[in-house]
Amino acid sequence: MLRNTADSWGAPAKLFHWAMAALILAQIALGVMAASWRVSPAKIELFFWHKSTGMLIFALVALRLLWRLANPPPELPSGIAAWERAAARVSHLLLYTLMIALPVTGWIVNSASNIPFRIFWLIPLPAIVAPDKPTADLAALVHGGLAALLALALVAHIGAGLRHHFVKRNTVLVRMLPGTWRTP
Amino acid sequence: MKRIGLGLCGLLAFAPHPAQAADWKMDPAGSKLEFIATFEKTAAPGEFKEFDARLRFDPDKPAGSSLDVTIKVTSADMSIPDVNKEIRGKDWFDYAAFPQAEFRSTDLRRDGKRYVARGTLTLKGVKQPVEVPFTWTSAGESAVMEGEFTLKRGAFGIGLGEWAATNVIGADVKVKFKVKLRKAG
Repeated sequence: MLRNTADSWGAPAKLFHWAMAALILAQIALGVMAASWRVSPAKIELFFWHKSTGMLIFALVALRLLWRLANPPPELPSGIAAWERAAARVSHLLLYTLMIALPVTGWIVNSASNIPFRIFWLIPLPAIVAPDKPTADLAALVHGGLAALLALALVAHIGAGLRHHFVKRNTVLVRMLPGTWRTP
Repeated sequence: MKRIGLGLCGLLAFAPHPAQAADWKMDPAGSKLEFIATFEKTAAPGEFKEFDARLRFDPDKPAGSSLDVTIKVTSADMSIPDVNKEIRGKDWFDYAAFPQAEFRSTDLRRDGKRYVARGTLTLKGVKQPVEVPFTWTSAGESAVMEGEFTLKRGAFGIGLGEWAATNVIGADVKVKFKVKLRKAG
């Protein structure tokens, strides 16, 4: 089952969701470690993996959005209040916005810092802004702020998924799990 | 007979000047000394903004020539503010203790179409024999010597302690130079 249906997600959508979930969690850990590590080869390594993973996430979110455009998501089950629908809409919009804004601001930091970088040692990352220390500092500040916002959005996202399952007892959580889950 | 004589005169006019090593002085405006390190296997270019080269050289008879290059190490610029701050330290160039580097050669030879200057590089207090290949292009009173060679940063203690590892910052540093010279006196 590849395509999304009215009440469940297709395999590609699930793969995008869980692969990116794992990458984003790893990415947050790498970013926090890279930023706080003392200047050392390890710090450079952490930044290298953080930047490479970030560009991978950026590429994946583009593909994911294309897939989503071609495959409308399943509808929310009945028994969801208007405010819950609105909250779901806003939080998903926020998550997608951050999945784009974080790589872009990170890319700006890297360009403004003038640090030579090839994604996973392979693809040279072109500069999108001219080298400039104040720009780099500002973009780094915005990048960090957005990352904190992402952490909050993820807590809300995970909390909402668990609430759907354990409190509202609907299929919203299980229909995103890998494999085929019988809907009650 | 007269015609032959004229012909000889013409030939002589185009013959090289009698071999005589000239003194050359560097024109800083047209000269550049770069060092290209690697950062996660990606080229990280830097430049010594201040350096000076003095040369006594005859391209046709390089024996007896000499080359003397003084590099103001503290003028190094890798165009990344954080990196520029880092390379001043003891683990890297150690500006405080070794503000200057030198290359001296009294052994310049022709090597096919180019030349090689064999000499001693003193960098961060370490003396190492180094061969510097270069090409020579001259036009009247000015000339350009250009070349590149590779050094191992570890041989000069550039990158000490944990920085001695070469997986993040590579062992090889490419040195690239273009020196514009003017005949002096």
